[in-house]
Amino acid sequence: MKTAVVICPGRGTYTKTELGVLSRHFPDAGLLAAFDARRAALGQETLTALDSASSYSVSRHTRGDNASGLIYAATLGDFLSLKGVQVVAVTGNSMGWYSALACAGALTPHNGFEVVNTMGTLMQSHMIGGQVLYPFVDEEWLPNPRRRVELLDLVAQIGARAGHVLGLSIDLGGMLVLAGNEAGLAAFEAAVPPVQGRFPMRLANHAGFHTGLQAPVAAAGRAALSPALFGQPNLPLIDGRGAIWWPYATDTAALWDYTLGHQVTEPYDFTRAIRTAAREFAPDLFIVTGPGTTLGGAVAQSLILSEWKGLASKADFQTRQAADPLLVSMGMADQRGLVV
Amino acid sequence: MDRADIVHENFLRRVAGRDFPAGRAPAGPLAATDAVAIYRAACLSRALDRTSRAMQRAGQGFYTIGSSGHEGMAAVAAALRPSDMAFLHYRDAAFQIARGGQFPGQTMAWDMLLSFAASAEDPISGGRHKVLGSRALMIPPQTSTIASHLPKAVGAAYSIGAARRHRPEHAILPDDALVMCSFGDASANHSTAQGAFNTAQWTSYQAVPLPLLFVCEDNGIGISTKTPKGWIAATFGARAGMKYFAADGLDIYDAYKVALEAADYVRTRRKPAFLHLRTIRLYGHAGADVPTTYLSRDEVEAEEAHDPLLHAVRLLDSAGALPADQALAIYTDTNARISRIAAEAVTRPRLKTAKDVMASLIPPARPCKPSNGPTPEARAAAFGADLKQIDDLQPMSRILNWALTDLMLAHPDIVMMGEDVGRKGGVYGVTQKLSARFGPDRMIDTLLDEQSILGLAIGMAQNGFTPMPEIQFLAYLHNAEDQIRGEAATLPFFSNGQFTNPMVLRIAGLGYQKGFGGHFHNDNSVAVIRDIPGVILAVPSNGADAAKMLRECVRLAREEQRVVVFLEPIALYPMRDLHADKDGGWMTRYPDPSEVIPLGQVGVQGDGTDLAIVTFGNGTYLSRQAQARLAEQGVQARVIDTRWLSPLPKDALTVAVQGAKRILIVDETRHSGGVAEALMAHFHEVSGVPLARITATDSFIATGPAYAATMPSADSITTAALEMMK
Repeated sequence: MKTAVVICPGRGTYTKTELGVLSRHFPDAGLLAAFDARRAALGQETLTALDSASSYSVSRHTRGDNASGLIYAATLGDFLSLKGVQVVAVTGNSMGWYSALACAGALTPHNGFEVVNTMGTLMQSHMIGGQVLYPFVDEEWLPNPRRRVELLDLVAQIGARAGHVLGLSIDLGGMLVLAGNEAGLAAFEAAVPPVQGRFPMRLANHAGFHTGLQAPVAAAGRAALSPALFGQPNLPLIDGRGAIWWPYATDTAALWDYTLGHQVTEPYDFTRAIRTAAREFAPDLFIVTGPGTTLGGAVAQSLILSEWKGLASKADFQTRQAADPLLVSMGMADQRGLVV
Repeated sequence: MDRADIVHENFLRRVAGRDFPAGRAPAGPLAATDAVAIYRAACLSRALDRTSRAMQRAGQGFYTIGSSGHEGMAAVAAALRPSDMAFLHYRDAAFQIARGGQFPGQTMAWDMLLSFAASAEDPISGGRHKVLGSRALMIPPQTSTIASHLPKAVGAAYSIGAARRHRPEHAILPDDALVMCSFGDASANHSTAQGAFNTAQWTSYQAVPLPLLFVCEDNGIGISTKTPKGWIAATFGARAGMKYFAADGLDIYDAYKVALEAADYVRTRRKPAFLHLRTIRLYGHAGADVPTTYLSRDEVEAEEAHDPLLHAVRLLDSAGALPADQALAIYTDTNARISRIAAEAVTRPRLKTAKDVMASLIPPARPCKPSNGPTPEARAAAFGADLKQIDDLQPMSRILNWALTDLMLAHPDIVMMGEDVGRKGGVYGVTQKLSARFGPDRMIDTLLDEQSILGLAIGMAQNGFTPMPEIQFLAYLHNAEDQIRGEAATLPFFSNGQFTNPMVLRIAGLGYQKGFGGHFHNDNSVAVIRDIPGVILAVPSNGADAAKMLRECVRLAREEQRVVVFLEPIALYPMRDLHADKDGGWMTRYPDPSEVIPLGQVGVQGDGTDLAIVTFGNGTYLSRQAQARLAEQGVQARVIDTRWLSPLPKDALTVAVQGAKRILIVDETRHSGGVAEALMAHFHEVSGVPLARITATDSFIATGPAYAATMPSADSITTAALEMMK
């Protein structure tokens, strides 16, 4: 049986093409009904209603209080659908950390929903700052550490200006996700050249996640979510620092503290999480659950940045994928078939 | 069947059958999750040992000395803080792995496997050696020289208290840190180790803070020689100034509890403690060592029956922390995981060329905060009445004293240590008044042990100080030389420049003291220093040069993190005259503190083309006398003071002899292994002119009237020069 590290995607992955994904793939109708009941009780639109909407609406589907639950459910559904692979660790990107906690068993599916829905709702209600995406690799994904340093220097310069807030939010493979206030984000967008036809890319309905801007959200989350929700994981969990939380050896109070503290207010190092996954678990497969397919590139770029299996470029990665897939994106129908 | 396989099979069979060795019930403060984390570290350590053997069999791994039987050290790690500097025994993989768990984002399995594979990506040594070590984990790498890391552990522990008073810019240890140092029961007998214990006790006995935890991992045997039963407890159980703790390293609960108590004692009382940890050694000393060739099968099997992993499973199961079946799953999962990772690690690049290997011999430069130097007021206060004489001609010892005063004023991180350097001010008065000027905590009068002096310097340097240890006489260096050769010089090399111990080691030496002291106070061999890679050796010949060179040596240490030896010719300390009584020809004025002689710059006196005399130290003085006599006979010579004996300033020497028709090398060190051998070889390679040398004979130096009989003299230099002119 092939070994696999499962990677849970973050915000922005439930897009137009994902509409209906829960009805197509979610394997446990009772569980989905429970999520819906919980949302209904909170006066929120149910996941089923959102997922079965006749059309996709950016304003409706990407709101934090809606998107978080949708993405969580789609991820968990995919995880529960896995067959024929031995999952050796779980990790995630950004909001995907909450999903990872549930996949690894540190949160029950219901508690995981409670955490993700609460945090998504808090993010939406506070909506502090925003995010912008910008690459430091070219379209061939060749590592360019110097460009990364230049960009971070620029970020620091802008962040030091009066009235400007700007900082690293996520190390996302070959891209930097930056977070800040409007002045900081706009100054960055004005300072860098447009590249690849779409960057710098402002992320709609995203707050300035993983920065000190979110301290009020973290505080509200800690008040709303008890440490008692958290239990021992039954699979190793890799967090946004690249640290591993092991079954039976996890201090659940510390896990709560990280999840609703550092994870919310400090940069999230997805690249390092993938590096740890590769180096400490050396799996046969990296499986990115749904929804969506956008995280696969960042996983591949992270593996290239980690020089994993000699991968040095997009072409290397594509060659490897064609011969013997290292990465499986469950959001792609053909690849999904390899693992369900 | 390999013992490693036997132990593995025993573990699988016995855990599955719940057939555990007898032992105490779990007790003490170890939390369930921490206990499982320790067990996980132990399983990883064990899996790495097994994998290292498989890698070696496959020609992909290069080191098999294992940690099996010593996994209880993971519990010791858990009892310490990750900022406590740890100088580790080579059987402490479990300690390092457990500490890695205290830092988010460490990849312990990958890192360790890279080191087994000697990959250039090994994060500690860059593929130069399989060493335990990590900059992030505050574990300086140790090589396998027996117990030679103990003296510097004493120094590092001392530095914590010293840094509370004068925190150096580059200090890395917190004020409330302790230093931990581990070793085996066999190496505890080594004289180096004994010296370190004694120094720790001597220090503690005087109530000087020394937060140092010695951990003796007693597996009862050193390669094939058994430690006498009860020896460690008997000899360490009641030592003055060093509290003894004993724990069972086969019992992670007991090891953790006692280590916690010992660490608390050390941290709060700031006194050294000796933690005696019972361990066992599984599978012999190293991969090639078969224990059944010197132990009976019954003895080996009796040890194996007490596999600490079996005890750990028993304890965890009994404590309700981890069911035995889950413990077995962790063990087997870890083995599978390590096999997968190893398959990738062995594909990573390795060092290939000499240049690759040597890249970390010289550490990287480090930025130091710029300083305007001391204020005139501070300088006046420090120099006192000496300031009135500062423009007068002075002998070298006085000039050196002033240079040291200015350097210590400018750099609060400079600390001196040695025998009689403080109160007495040195045997020859070079450090006089410095204790009054800078206090006894910067002018440390040490006990009579050169290994401890150098260990103190190395340890303090690792915490950001710029030590200037003094060895009272060159002949006294030899009993402690490994502290420079095996420890100080290798630290940047084996840590890929991540750990450094810059210092300026002052040594009074060389010959020509008139009738005083014989060999032991007039040693004239520097070979032992010159062949150590990366170490700089400077030898001044006069006061002004000495001051300017010493400033450069301190800069090299502080800014370029180099280990520098500054060898001061004793006979020239008081020298006043050159050619005639009362001519004052060898005295100089104190050069302005801004004046420096850079590394590699040689001194040239005269521009004669008949002959270049290439020399150093006392030879420079004698050659200057000969130069005058030769001039009287119509021979125009120049005298070239090499100044830097290692690395030899080859390019500068080549330039300095240009135009000279002959080269005479004058070397006060011995004919065999002396400096002249290198100088002759160099000039033979770069110059076509006639070459000759005059050296000391291959002899020890006598006391009494024949004190200089074996060494070059002004007469013999003159004669040799005239001979070349024929």
